[in-house]
Amino acid sequence: MLQQVIEALRKHEGVHDWCARHVDKRSTQYYVIGKHPESRRVVTSERVVVTVMNDHAPAAGGSELVRGEADVTVLPSDLLRLADKLSQAVFMARLTDNPRYGLPGLSRYPVVELADSEMQKRPQDVAERLVGQLTQSLAAEKNVRLSSAEVFVEESHVHTQNSRGVDGHQVGTNLLFDWVLLAAGDADEMESHVAFERRRAADLDVPALAQRYAAHARDALAAGTPRTGTFPVVVSDEALDELVVSEGNSPLTLRSSAQLKYQQISPWEVGQSIFTQTPSGDAFTLYANALLPFGTRSGSLDGEGLPGQRLPIVENGVLTRFWATQRYAEYLGVPPTGEFGNLELPAGTHSFASLLEGQGPLYHIVAFSAMSPDPLTGDFVGEIRLGYELNKGQVRPIRGGSIGGNLFDVLVAARWSRETAFLGDYAGPRAVRFPQVTVAGA
Amino acid sequence: MDLQEIPPELSGPSVNLPALVSDMERRVPYAAALLCRNGGLQVQVRDREQSVTEIAPRQGLVLSAWNGAYFEEMASSDLSREHMFGLARRFMGAVQPRLRGAVRPRLRGAVRPRLCGAVRPVASDGGIDPGQAQRTHYATACVEDPTTLSAKEKLDLCLDLQARARKLNPRIVNVQVRYMETLESKAFVNRVRQLSQNVLRLRLSVMVFVSDGQQLQYDWLGKDATGGLEAVRLNDDDLRRVCESAVAMLSAKKVPPGMYDVICCPDVSGVIAHEAFGHGVELDIFLKDRARSEQYLGKPIASPLVDILDDPSYPGGHGTYFFDDEGQLSSPTYIIRHGVFERGLSDLYSAHSLRVPRSANGRRESFERKVYVRMSNTFFGRGKTPVSEMIESVERGVYLEHSSSGMEDPKGWGMQVTSQYGVEILNGKLTGRRFAPIGITGYVPDILQSVLAVGDDFKLSGGTCGKGHKEWVPVSSGGPHLKLKARLG
Repeated sequence: MLQQVIEALRKHEGVHDWCARHVDKRSTQYYVIGKHPESRRVVTSERVVVTVMNDHAPAAGGSELVRGEADVTVLPSDLLRLADKLSQAVFMARLTDNPRYGLPGLSRYPVVELADSEMQKRPQDVAERLVGQLTQSLAAEKNVRLSSAEVFVEESHVHTQNSRGVDGHQVGTNLLFDWVLLAAGDADEMESHVAFERRRAADLDVPALAQRYAAHARDALAAGTPRTGTFPVVVSDEALDELVVSEGNSPLTLRSSAQLKYQQISPWEVGQSIFTQTPSGDAFTLYANALLPFGTRSGSLDGEGLPGQRLPIVENGVLTRFWATQRYAEYLGVPPTGEFGNLELPAGTHSFASLLEGQGPLYHIVAFSAMSPDPLTGDFVGEIRLGYELNKGQVRPIRGGSIGGNLFDVLVAARWSRETAFLGDYAGPRAVRFPQVTVAGA
Repeated sequence: MDLQEIPPELSGPSVNLPALVSDMERRVPYAAALLCRNGGLQVQVRDREQSVTEIAPRQGLVLSAWNGAYFEEMASSDLSREHMFGLARRFMGAVQPRLRGAVRPRLRGAVRPRLCGAVRPVASDGGIDPGQAQRTHYATACVEDPTTLSAKEKLDLCLDLQARARKLNPRIVNVQVRYMETLESKAFVNRVRQLSQNVLRLRLSVMVFVSDGQQLQYDWLGKDATGGLEAVRLNDDDLRRVCESAVAMLSAKKVPPGMYDVICCPDVSGVIAHEAFGHGVELDIFLKDRARSEQYLGKPIASPLVDILDDPSYPGGHGTYFFDDEGQLSSPTYIIRHGVFERGLSDLYSAHSLRVPRSANGRRESFERKVYVRMSNTFFGRGKTPVSEMIESVERGVYLEHSSSGMEDPKGWGMQVTSQYGVEILNGKLTGRRFAPIGITGYVPDILQSVLAVGDDFKLSGGTCGKGHKEWVPVSSGGPHLKLKARLG
């Protein structure tokens, strides 16, 4: 299918540059309620995503050519009217006037581990085995049972080619394991709900995770409301991933992008501190890492054919470079780096246990209802789904209320744990301590 | 494009659906087939950047089979006749029909007596009710049909809005205008029904970025609908309002945390309805024992002033459709009436398993995903109190504007809604002092019971809704202004 599309692109009038990405995917999905299957699904899909560039005179007049681009998706049933699809793309690309830019050329692509061979060969077995491990682990957990679980085991083949010689192929697997546990109290039940995304089944220690989340469900039964005020706050594990990665929409990722710099939306400058306050915590260093083995945002090459890299973005609080796709790299005159990839932070120097020390009150948050800092300003507010108040040696579970602040204002004073975690799209310290965060509670 | 016909990409394959269903029902007691295609056009204009591009179409066939205990599905993007029948053959080769009721989830005692009786139960013990025979095509009604305009005209519309907004204030550093036009086409067939629909969704939004040299802030304004361009046009007043609001964000402070009297604009009211009592009454979570609302069925849960409805048939709503992904025709559902929890929302599986009447809330993100119980247009019913009177009645509080996100907690019944900003109310007047952003949290019954007044206005705002952190579908939420008590932080 890809070669048919490429042949048509080469011949089509008005196509001055192009990129074509063939995506072939198979998804095996298994849904369970309690001990029984709720549904089983198998989905196959195939498409070619085509980006067409057209150079033309600007609508406003002038002699310097401008460039427009447009995407169209070619599905198997579109092959009979492929010329029409490409004409539609050229028509749309001709409408828009942007400063000209190029495409990446052929590169050597690094080898990155992206696929779990067992997930490729026996997806249904993997899905059932994971649910079995979870059920078995919960059998040892007092007063806790499985409400529901969903497992998606996916394999994708992506082949990217462009008009400048890029030709790269990668095969990856993806695993989604979403579960809800219920803990029963004397007169009540509470739940803990979590979803894990990985590329490899072995990266989920199901018995350990089941134990941890069973404890969360039980603790939620006894949880009270936090106090109102400003307190030290520790955030760990999946809650930390939500706070700093935010499913790829982290202000750390967006502010360091050449695209937002070009759009005059990122205030950051290379060589300057990313903080407006004087750092008082651990030195803050950040890597954009597309080479992390089995990282969910890893890749030998990105969507337009740039090779994956591991790049220091922030070193000791200072922005070292913008990450850039080809277009915005050319606009800003910086090297193209490819897409951001996974967010990596170096291990800290403090033990997790020491981050929880102090007279208190201190709040340790293990789950938010939803935490996504504003991608541009960094402001955040998140309801506490479950946490613990540590006060004079006493530990009390809490839920409800919220924490609020600004991500950069809290990172500037953060202390990081030396224990690390790999959470799919994040590799780094398992926990962080912020000395002062506003808590809205009772 | 003629909305009275499904697109050619689906019309050819759709002729095969009755035969596919018939073939599958030789092996299983109930089967259905759904063809779906979502796609459209997006135009975007910012300073120094323009784009006109296709919204990537997601198109495929879903074959569903009831095996006597649960639904199994096979789906594919390949709509060639040969592949469709080959898929069905492979699917039927893999399905394992089960003994009736072999592994059905247990019925919840609290649910069964209340919900049965009002409407005929959906199914007998052994089977799935295919509904009444019907063969109909439905299409969104438009006054100004955008599909008759060229992409160039839509780009010009955005360029004009961007240019007009850009010069309204010197602190503006960029303005993004985005136009999205999505056509959601579906053809559903079971043994008695052949339904098809074209639902045209539009969204036009302006996002204004401002800076005072020290900090960057922004605000946005958007209109959305199922319908024609007449429903989403933005005027100069709209542009001036969003620019002034973005500039005011530069002086916003953090709200001192605590309990407040608040007035929620319709946008925020709607997200409270959606998060507090929308997700919590999706009956698939009853099957999973995840719904605390189950204990309140038929009981008062909110102030008697409160009605909450979900209505996929609401004219022009962003979440509007004619039938759901399982062939159930749209109609309104009263979830809460006069403060009493009446009934939840269902898909075919939850309705069948719980022996309750179906509502048209079985929706899937695309052919690649399963059907879940999903909301459509979810809102508080209109009240009688003028908004000015509501504000005048607040001694010290906050007017909450512009929701940006929310999250459900159906078991713990916590609720989180984030408001882009709020404005202080002192002695019955808006002071202009702005707080941003604001998190609204609380225990759902406390919030719903604290409603002291319901406005005489009404507005819906569109967006997308996930189930947990995935499965995104278009919805709207809204209603009137509400006066209530909530914890802000």
